[in-house]
Amino acid sequence: MNKYFLVAKNTWEEMLTYRLNFFMWRVRVILQILTLYFLWLAVLPKEGSLLGYSQPQLLTYILGTALLNSIVLSSRSYAVGDDINQGNLSHFLLLPMNYFLYWFAKDLGDKAMNIFFAIFELVVLFVILHPPFFIQTNLILIFLFAISSLIALGLYFLLNLLLGFIGFWSPETWAPRFIFVTLLGFFAGGLFPLDILPKPVFTILSALPFNYLLYFPLKIYLGQLSIFQIIIGISVSVFWLIALYKLLAVVWLRGLRRYTAQGI
Amino acid sequence: MKKYISIWLKLSFLSFQIALASRFGAALFLFGKVIRFGFFLIFLFILEAKTKTIAGFSLWQIIFFFATFNLIDSLTQFFLREVYRFRSYVVSGSFDLILTKPISPLYRSLFGGSDILDIPMLILSLGFMFVAASNLPSVSVFNIFLFFILFINAMVIACAFHILVLSIGILTTEVDNTIMLYRDITQMGRLPVDIYKAPVDSIITFIIPIGIMMTFPAKAFMGILSPGFVLLAICIGVIFLFVSIKLWNFALTKYSSASS
Repeated sequence: MNKYFLVAKNTWEEMLTYRLNFFMWRVRVILQILTLYFLWLAVLPKEGSLLGYSQPQLLTYILGTALLNSIVLSSRSYAVGDDINQGNLSHFLLLPMNYFLYWFAKDLGDKAMNIFFAIFELVVLFVILHPPFFIQTNLILIFLFAISSLIALGLYFLLNLLLGFIGFWSPETWAPRFIFVTLLGFFAGGLFPLDILPKPVFTILSALPFNYLLYFPLKIYLGQLSIFQIIIGISVSVFWLIALYKLLAVVWLRGLRRYTAQGI
Repeated sequence: MKKYISIWLKLSFLSFQIALASRFGAALFLFGKVIRFGFFLIFLFILEAKTKTIAGFSLWQIIFFFATFNLIDSLTQFFLREVYRFRSYVVSGSFDLILTKPISPLYRSLFGGSDILDIPMLILSLGFMFVAASNLPSVSVFNIFLFFILFINAMVIACAFHILVLSIGILTTEVDNTIMLYRDITQMGRLPVDIYKAPVDSIITFIIPIGIMMTFPAKAFMGILSPGFVLLAICIGVIFLFVSIKLWNFALTKYSSASS
């Protein structure tokens, strides 16, 4: 276990090696939050509601996605495809280390850094902007929000790894990732809450795993789902977690059979 | 001038060949760009359906703003894609080879490889601009003229931004996040900057001239931009370009020829 802790710790230190790079990255994150925040602030009425959301609820949703982004969507495992294509995987195959856990530890190191800075930045934004914010006081809902966020973290890790494994079959791993990120921006609910979409589209999206990365945990936090809907949602996301893990195991074994250590 | 056009054609041709070496990858990238455009458009339609106007602008006005943004953004990426590759030249010392060539290193660093994958996005943006414009109230020839003037001004500002990125690249070896930071800032211009509250709207219009780049041309087209702002926009564009070239010249004196 200690070795994985060291991997996570090293990732933390790696991120601070190029400090200007890191600073620029954080500025970008703040800018992305502000862009969406001001957009919604402009279209939302101060009183009443729009698309079923009051101003505090929707702005909480937007700021919440910023925090959840750093917990769920921050990752290092995007480099798995390059590892395979450049032959670096061979090195890991010889080490007494689980390849999946290695990347999971790297992801956790990355997430820890991102969460730390995201909380700091959100506090600063709160002090400056004084946004109307919805504070959930129901402890059960907060607990369920935490559970669904952890499931989301696992789902994203598996999806990310699965995309990286395309590297076993093709050197072209960045183009599928570009599409994945584009789809995610829309289907995960980072741009807007998904339930403002037409009902048939929303129903289809509810069956996909993307919905459970940002939208579902935040809806739990906002208290807009019944306990029954939460149980159904958590069940579907757990199903995806298991299904993606099984699929990943199969793809990994088949991929290893094709692996030629190209690039060494 | 002729020499530079011929160099651009040659480098762009080579760049196209590289981009099309993996046709599957190129197709996926293109598909990604189109769905990103489509998704934001869907978002605007949904928003407009519920609110009727967005910050006082009608749906077709908003689409015209969005399409103009995409046209400027895609055209900038088409011409200035080489900037995204600049960091590798600096950290590997390959920039030495560019400096010793008998052409302007700034020209080579800016226009050294156009991106063919942006051409379909240019066509798509133009198409949407045309459709949106045909749904707007009558537009005068003078407004169209002002649009072209401010469109050229927007390209000048975009060029100045890229020169700033190159200069920072030489001074700090950091390019990737700086150029993406520029991209993120310009994203604020997808919609008219008037939607942002004070002082954000003023900051992104006059200090970081995103509003002048992205919003002013469309506003001039619709006839809702005063002539004073047109003159101010041109002045800011020229000053911005002048300052960025000064910074580039300064940065060149600090280049340390790393790794060579």
